[in-house]
Amino acid sequence: MNREIIKYPFYLIVHPFNGFWDLKYEYNKRINLIISFIILFLMIVTNILGSQYSGFLVNLYNPENMNSLMEVLYVVVPVLFWCVANWSLTTLMDGEGKFEEIFVSTCFALIPLVIINFPWIWLSNLISMQETAFYYFSNSFAVLWFLFLLFVGNMTVHQYKPSKSIGTILLTIVAMGFMAFLCLLFFSLIQQMVAFINVIYQEIVIRN
Amino acid sequence: MKRVQKFSAILLAIMVLLFNISIGATTVKAEEGAPAYNYSFWGESVSAPDAYQAKKLINGNSLGIGSFNQPNDLHVTNDNQVYVMDSGNNRIAILDQEFKTLRTVDSFMNEGAKDTFSNPQGLFVTKDKDVLIADTGNHRVVHLDEDFNLVKIIEKPQSELLKEDYVFEPIRVVVDNADRIFVMAAGIFDGFMEFNVNGSFNTFIGANRVEVDPVEYLWKRLSTQAQRSQMVMFTPTEFTNLDINDEGFIYSTNGDQSEDIIKKLNARGTDILRREGYYSPMGDIRYPLDVGPSRLIDIDVTDSEIYSVLDSKQGRIFTYNGDGHLMYVFGGLGNQLGEFHTPTAIERVGDNFLVLDKELAEITVFGTTEYGRTLNEAVRSYYRGDEEKAFQFYKETVNMNANLEFAYTGIGKALLRQGDYKEAMHNFKQSLDQQNYSKAFLLYRKQVLREHFSTGMTVILLLAVGTLIFRKYRKMTRGKRVVSIE
Repeated sequence: MNREIIKYPFYLIVHPFNGFWDLKYEYNKRINLIISFIILFLMIVTNILGSQYSGFLVNLYNPENMNSLMEVLYVVVPVLFWCVANWSLTTLMDGEGKFEEIFVSTCFALIPLVIINFPWIWLSNLISMQETAFYYFSNSFAVLWFLFLLFVGNMTVHQYKPSKSIGTILLTIVAMGFMAFLCLLFFSLIQQMVAFINVIYQEIVIRN
Repeated sequence: MKRVQKFSAILLAIMVLLFNISIGATTVKAEEGAPAYNYSFWGESVSAPDAYQAKKLINGNSLGIGSFNQPNDLHVTNDNQVYVMDSGNNRIAILDQEFKTLRTVDSFMNEGAKDTFSNPQGLFVTKDKDVLIADTGNHRVVHLDEDFNLVKIIEKPQSELLKEDYVFEPIRVVVDNADRIFVMAAGIFDGFMEFNVNGSFNTFIGANRVEVDPVEYLWKRLSTQAQRSQMVMFTPTEFTNLDINDEGFIYSTNGDQSEDIIKKLNARGTDILRREGYYSPMGDIRYPLDVGPSRLIDIDVTDSEIYSVLDSKQGRIFTYNGDGHLMYVFGGLGNQLGEFHTPTAIERVGDNFLVLDKELAEITVFGTTEYGRTLNEAVRSYYRGDEEKAFQFYKETVNMNANLEFAYTGIGKALLRQGDYKEAMHNFKQSLDQQNYSKAFLLYRKQVLREHFSTGMTVILLLAVGTLIFRKYRKMTRGKRVVSIE
């Protein structure tokens, strides 16, 4: 069984249609969730290590601007936004997927980003300027693979046709934009309120 | 008793005063001039040691020739004589290298009659010590020989490239090795005016490109012909100054807002300035919004392609090396020694700087500090290709200023030549120079692989043979076991 759990994600990324189907209908939900969180965690680790330890030729970074916590957010926030936006849309558009399923399929789609980028963190230290083309090629390949898996996963989870699936994905991106806007609005309002209360407090304190 | 009290009070006051003064004096010393800085790879201003320090002030009175009046231009010859264009007094003052007056010139003989200048703005001294004066008020360029006898006068050129009603107002003038004369004139947008040896007009060279603001362009497209004729025309910006180096390349500054405000023009008028630095040479790259970007009004080019520009907005002098790396910044607006009111011209006398202030009518002399000297020598040796020396000097420089990133490239290149690839890589990393890092890395990788080739290969072969034997062995034992079970 354990062996199965480790093997399964790799089976899924090369056989996405069967893989996502089994993921939705055959496998244990709890174990799926656990694997998803592990993948998300690995993605975060890859991201942090990548921005710190990637080779100098592919990664010019200002150590003053490097913040591991922000790197965590760069992974978690888009995934969360994507899942929420996708779920909100598909419940209105006859999607069959539950939130949990959307989350699990999204996380499984991240696998190529981890298994390709992770070795490249160290490999990129062993390449010259001319060889960075391979690095960028692999990176783009990983992204394309990820997008394909995301597409298939979404299609399978909601039982959509390909065309409708593409439409929902585009709409989801728009919805993510709206969510980002609302969040900004919310935070800036809260900030204003906090500042207002702070000012009043100061005024009262200084008066006495 | 009362008197004693009063006395002690006065004494106390004096002591306090003295104490204050001494404190004041120390703080003044600590803040002499603005703190020096440089820009890092990331475009942040980082502190740097002072490369130059103000040494003394020279004005007309101290020279014994009466105070200058609105002086506009300076020129230093190869034997370090200083020519000052004293525009308001319509004269030229010539100083020797110790800044003692040699003579002043305010007139010359023209066809038997005494002729004078009228508000002359610029001057240039050739290698043979011929003097060219942009005699702005008289609409001419005057060419005098070493002893200030008239050689020729260049008047408004006759050319169909110029409008009929054009008024020739030369501002600055330079002469190249082939005795061609380049004139920067007011109201000319087509570049510099080039005159040949006998003073006849050749052509314009090096016109600035027209910069079009997209919003303005849209407005223009939307408006009618009649409206358009009322609008401001898109014209290229005028040059603000020029200088020429020993190889005959013209260095110019202009009032653009673009990144190419400094140009190095070849004989065809093409800009060939190297912009290999972390950002384009353009004075300040970070500035307060209300001040705006630097307005460069003078340029001085010296040996080894080192050039300096003067920013009139903040009174700072920026010096770049041939690759376009910012070496040092000094100066500023203010009232202390080493600060200016309206700086108009800079020149180098050897490694010293002269900065001419127009309103205050005085010249500030700057001398190098140890840091400035070392950096100058480092850049020079590097330019000459003397990497061993450059290595030493750059090493000293980074000891004094670890923030000077491009210096590490100099160190790295020397190390690369010496074959210390690993250290070279480290230094290129410090200067964030990916190209050179890659070169050093390739060599380093080759070296490491060559060193460990035999061991590596042996290990791989042993592993391969080992697995083969192991497999065969397992097969044999397993086969046996199967047999034995059966």
